[in-house]
Amino acid sequence: MKRIHRLLLSVAIALFAMGSFQTASADKESKPFAEKRVVLQISDNNPFKQTLVLNVANNLIKHYGADKVDVEIVAFGPGLRLLFAENANKGRIKSLTDTGVRFSACQNTITAMSKALDEPVKLTSNAVPVSAGVVRIIDLVDQGYQLVKP
Amino acid sequence: MIRTFKKTGLGAAAVAVTLLAGQAQAANWLLLQGTEPSDAAPRAKLWGFIQPEYQSTDGTELAAGPWGGQSAQFNVIPPDLKTDSTFQIRRARIGVRGIGFPLDSKVNYFFLAEAGNNGITRPGGGTGSVKLTDASVTLNHIPGARIRVGQFKYPGSEEGLQAIHVFDYINFTNVSFQMMLERYFNGNGSDTFVTPGGNSGPGGDANRPNGPVGAFRDIGIQVFDAFRSGDWETSYALMYGNGNGITRSDNDDNKDIYAYLSTEWIFGGKGGRRQGFKMYGWMQDGKRTLTTAGAGEYDRERWGLGSTYRRGKWRAAFEYMEGEGMILNGTDGGAVVGSAANGPGTTASFNVATTGEADGYYVHFGFAPTPKWELNVRHDVYNRVTNVAAAERQFETTTLGVQYFFNKKARAILNYELRDADAPNLAGTAPPNVILDEMDDKISIQLLAIF
Repeated sequence: MKRIHRLLLSVAIALFAMGSFQTASADKESKPFAEKRVVLQISDNNPFKQTLVLNVANNLIKHYGADKVDVEIVAFGPGLRLLFAENANKGRIKSLTDTGVRFSACQNTITAMSKALDEPVKLTSNAVPVSAGVVRIIDLVDQGYQLVKP
Repeated sequence: MIRTFKKTGLGAAAVAVTLLAGQAQAANWLLLQGTEPSDAAPRAKLWGFIQPEYQSTDGTELAAGPWGGQSAQFNVIPPDLKTDSTFQIRRARIGVRGIGFPLDSKVNYFFLAEAGNNGITRPGGGTGSVKLTDASVTLNHIPGARIRVGQFKYPGSEEGLQAIHVFDYINFTNVSFQMMLERYFNGNGSDTFVTPGGNSGPGGDANRPNGPVGAFRDIGIQVFDAFRSGDWETSYALMYGNGNGITRSDNDDNKDIYAYLSTEWIFGGKGGRRQGFKMYGWMQDGKRTLTTAGAGEYDRERWGLGSTYRRGKWRAAFEYMEGEGMILNGTDGGAVVGSAANGPGTTASFNVATTGEADGYYVHFGFAPTPKWELNVRHDVYNRVTNVAAAERQFETTTLGVQYFFNKKARAILNYELRDADAPNLAGTAPPNVILDEMDDKISIQLLAIF
């Protein structure tokens, strides 16, 4: 009986971990009719870059249509500020999420920034943590996504 | 009147703060100047603007009085007051603002210095130097009560509070220039100095300002915030400051209190040219200490209310202001400060009515037929020292303006000011009216480049 409990617990932990760090295959499935797949990188502290990366995502959606393009924005390093809960662009981030754009937040950066702040970084609910931003980008590129760094 | 407004204004501000929910994201003057976009501000943004200009009057001289035949203070170009036409750099400001530690957007700063030729750097035509106009730190930790500390624009008149680089005209209205733009003096200007031997010559106390003009700023602490409810944004600010101008500490134990409340129906846009309909009221209450002529402590109270409108091609604004206590009362005989009278007499000085009363208003309309061009007209009236019939003066100016926008950061402004002034309670032949009849119109052109 104890063995079954341990087995169930292990399965639950595994499922939780899978849920925490999205897999690339799951993302592709979220846009089955997409003809273009783009990953946008933001790793810069410059606020103009925040606006620019959101503009680019918006322009892709407008040009191809929400169903025909799959866009993911990966934020790491200083660029993670884009996904802070109180970021001035949070309204735009929510709107883009509603059109299917995904936002990935680098867990390594989250950990480092939390240490620098002496408190956990609060991210927008639209951000999904990934183990490492740069790894996430490499994985997506391997699957055919085109990398754009505005 | 001022005391009544003070009580009701402060009470209304407190009630508004208590009742309204939901912090605003859109900006207004309080937020634009005192805060940064949350988690989207640079560590240090370098910025500033330059305003080269040319101003000219006919240079008509004083037609009567002890300084008859000499230059009239109101017909020469400030701050140097030496000529009736001049090129000059009206303002040249450079500053830095941002969030020092980008991970924490709850603390931001604002720094700005002035190197142009104006009352900040050359008060009363005095020696010029680069001056600090703004240096403040804002703490955004308490919801509904942001705290700004340092030297910055106090919450008050729209004409003073608005960013000068989006001001639609070159010169301020009479009521703002004379009643609100404070000069700080050691005395009231009543010292008389009879030239030795009854001959004309220099001497006496010109009672020049003892520091830069106030520039609608003070050093102190301000609590403020804005709250959004649908399309409406309501803002409040309470400030406690030295009341002794900029770039120096206080000169007495008295402090000034400022209160401001506004509510705006927002149509769209953002920044300094956001479209909306705003209604606002403000007050300030303090004391000033004179140490030479007329030494003592005197009240300085101001209050006002107004509204602004901006939608599509149309702009409009109205503001009414009143003042009690320290009222700048011009110069002796309308002469340029420091001038010696003809024959036996005194040196022309700045004067202050220490228990004066004044009021004024302006109305402004604007129309932008194309994105490149904007037409403006403004009418302003200022009634100075209304509590002493013989001393009362009325100033009335209609300003016609054209603006051409080279781009969003650079424009040219052309103004023609139709200026009139009189002493309404004196005969038309009385010297003050003879002098004021010679007030010239003024033409000004200015280029403005923001970087």
